[in-house]
Amino acid sequence: MNDVLAGLALTKRFGQTVALGGVDIAVRAAEAVAIMGPSGSGKSTLLHCLAGIMKPDDGEVHLLGQRIDAMGERERSALRRTRFGFVFQFGQLLPELPAEENVALPLMLGGVARAQAVRQAREWFGPLGLQGMETRRPGELSGGQAQRVAIARALVTKPAVVFADEPTGALDQSTGHDTMRLLVEATRANGASLIVVTHDPNVAAWCDRTVEVRDGKLLAGGVPA
Amino acid sequence: MNLELTWRLLKGGGRRGLLGTWLTLGAVAVSTALLLFAVTANFAFEDRGERGAWRNPVPAAQGQRAVAVEGTRLDYVRDRQIVIVDLAALGSSPPVPPGMPRFPAPGEAYFSPALAALAKQLPAAQLAGRFPAMTGVLGEEALVHPEELVAVVGQRPDAPVMTAPRGADDAPVRVADLAGEPSMDSQGYRILALIGSVLMVVPLLVFGGAAARLTVARRDQRLAALRLVGATPGQVVGMTVAEAVIVAFAGVLTGTVAYALALPLLTRIRMSGGPWFAADLWPDPPVLAATVVAVPLLVGLSAVAGLRRVVVSPLGVAKRETPPAMRFLRVLVLLAALAAFPLMGRDTGIAIIVAAIGLAFLSVNLVGPWVVALIGRITARGARGPARLLAGRRLVDDPRSAWRTVSGVALTGFVAGFLALLSPGVLTSDAVPGQLRVLVPEGSSATVAEHARDRLREAGVTATVKQSDDVVAVTVADRDDPATLDRGRTALAGLVPGRTATTGADDDHTGAQLLADIGVGTVVVLSVSFLVAIASAGITAASSILDRRQTYGLLRLAGTPLAVLDRARRAETLIPLTVMGGGSILVGAFCATPFMFGAPNANGLIMLLVCVGLGFAGVLAAGALSRPLLRAVTTDPAPRPD
Ligand SMILES: Nc1ncnc2c1ncn2[C@@H]1O[C@H](COP(=O)(O)OP(=O)(O)O)[C@@H](O)[C@H]1O
Ligand SMILES: [Mg+2]
Repeated sequence: MNDVLAGLALTKRFGQTVALGGVDIAVRAAEAVAIMGPSGSGKSTLLHCLAGIMKPDDGEVHLLGQRIDAMGERERSALRRTRFGFVFQFGQLLPELPAEENVALPLMLGGVARAQAVRQAREWFGPLGLQGMETRRPGELSGGQAQRVAIARALVTKPAVVFADEPTGALDQSTGHDTMRLLVEATRANGASLIVVTHDPNVAAWCDRTVEVRDGKLLAGGVPA
Repeated sequence: MNLELTWRLLKGGGRRGLLGTWLTLGAVAVSTALLLFAVTANFAFEDRGERGAWRNPVPAAQGQRAVAVEGTRLDYVRDRQIVIVDLAALGSSPPVPPGMPRFPAPGEAYFSPALAALAKQLPAAQLAGRFPAMTGVLGEEALVHPEELVAVVGQRPDAPVMTAPRGADDAPVRVADLAGEPSMDSQGYRILALIGSVLMVVPLLVFGGAAARLTVARRDQRLAALRLVGATPGQVVGMTVAEAVIVAFAGVLTGTVAYALALPLLTRIRMSGGPWFAADLWPDPPVLAATVVAVPLLVGLSAVAGLRRVVVSPLGVAKRETPPAMRFLRVLVLLAALAAFPLMGRDTGIAIIVAAIGLAFLSVNLVGPWVVALIGRITARGARGPARLLAGRRLVDDPRSAWRTVSGVALTGFVAGFLALLSPGVLTSDAVPGQLRVLVPEGSSATVAEHARDRLREAGVTATVKQSDDVVAVTVADRDDPATLDRGRTALAGLVPGRTATTGADDDHTGAQLLADIGVGTVVVLSVSFLVAIASAGITAASSILDRRQTYGLLRLAGTPLAVLDRARRAETLIPLTVMGGGSILVGAFCATPFMFGAPNANGLIMLLVCVGLGFAGVLAAGALSRPLLRAVTTDPAPRPD
């Protein structure tokens, strides 16, 4: 099996609400998977369980064959820092850090020396169309530019999997499309898998596969064909 | 207009919105209680001065009809001071003195409650024997403080005690009424109280402003959202101000109640030898009314100022740019204020001194953010690890809010530095222990000495009596026994009309009392500053977490260890605290140099060190208290912008 990340029979309840009702999902190396579904259907919960942010009530999560859902918070936190990248809707960049330091932060957290981390971070600006934005601060960037900085930050540690929860939800449609294409292409180019939650069927078309979630269950496409 | 909506916003802010509201309420309550204290302290000293005024007679002016002769002298028992007021009526309808049912007839004596109790407690030969039998007890309106020892003795106008020559200052005078005037000492205390108030009120204002902005910080996102859905600027401002004012009003009431509850403790602070009447420390209705109106008003204004950004643009706070650099002008203002100090001395007018101290104090506050930004740049540039980098960038980004966290302690550093240099040493006295001295009219020292020997022998006090031209000195055999000394004092009472036999320590009593009071005052001012400083550090720490909860939460989701965030947050406080605290101590000390008397003493320096230690510990503790909040804010698995 060449699955990078796999969720088996994932179940998560919040009180009476069944957010996930036994979900099987697998993602291959460098594969881009779009997760779609109505609001409240359990997309974010699924993402959080797969990323080790939440512990599922039941089921297992495997990263490269290693079970991660049973790990303690400290280990999962380290795992998120080193093996995963995240792009959220907005608000993830520290407003007081220049763009390049925002990107360098995960490297520095991993012990890379500052100068080295910033140098590595800068290398992402060109390919993502961010030339000249290195020392701008998030408040001085447009929404689309800020999301591209976030993409750079998600990829800078060379993660195995990038998780993106409605990463273009706060952008207008055309900027959103551009950003999404960059996200998909950049993760693919880096050999990382991508799991992206989106409402836009056009966006889903960029991905290799689309997974439909309804009331905590997958309609189709949980496991690669 | 939008009161209902405002109310719903207030209630509907969720748990964290509510936390912000509680923090504001608490901050306003603390500020109010301390403000009431700082303000009423001035009135309290004024009240004391006025209640003591009647014993400080003013001679009747030319052409005024004199109604009485009044003279005041000091006596001592153990190491306490007794004020003795001799009153003689001129004419048949003398005025009724304060605290007494009628003008005392010759041979009558009225004692303050404390003196009455002491006279009963000690053998008559030690105290009561100095006065006529007690006729009645003086009411509170005649006393400076509840434990004061006062005796009012009725005399004939031609009695020796009223006519015998005395020093120019304390000779009995013919008065047209018994109003008198507040003594020089009481005026001095009022000036010291005023300086203390300035030192307490400035950090309070800074703190209050921070608290007001706290409400806005909680609300700005929600309000920006309201703007986006089309609320007019007026409506947004109106709602926020209404909310801030409602919360502040509740805070003022809470603070007033807290002050009332603390009153019994506060009255126990001993000044000029005694505690306070509760009424002295309870604010007069106009002061109370002004506080209840002014504090919410200031909070409202502060909220408006904080809101400007949101109102200007609907995108408001969502858009954050590099703040304009702090202007160097701020530093020039401080330097200009400091330049005034070497020009001053102890003979400079008090109004100028108070103004200059206030100005220097305010300019330290003005320079604070500038220095914080500078420290931030240095920290960020030199940072190797993420925590330092985050801390440094944060300081540069918002030096004002970082300064607010530490300003309290830094300004306390100013106070401490100022007072450390001023706190006087101990008086050096060349007094002979066990020796009582009494001034005698020229040429009569031999006779007086003879009388003294007779009186002492009669009283059974063994003592040696020596005389010089104008002094008779009595040294009791048992030098270290206060009871013997008081028997000697009692035996010698009235030996020379209008004069009392005093020890060297008695003569230094006022000076020693002043030194002790300055010490107490210093501790009080510093305690208040510390409460403010620590409360403000705690509150701003909490509010900075709340402000950034979304970013912190997302960073945590992405695997940033809580410890890094916490370390960054601590560095963000400790670095400026160290630099600014040290700097303000130096500036405070510099401002005190023109008014120093003698070399700074060890006590002052020890106090300074204790202050610095307490300040750091307090801020650390306040910061540590908000760590659970950081944890709570960042463990929310799916932080949503609310
Ligand atoms: N922390 C939580 N506490 C309680 N209920 C939650 C929580 N997170 C999600 N839910 C509920 O779980 C269901 C799925 O939520 P979510 O995964 O966020 O949906 P989606 O991302 O698809 O909009 C919803 O009914 C939501 O209300
Ligand atoms: Mg969601």
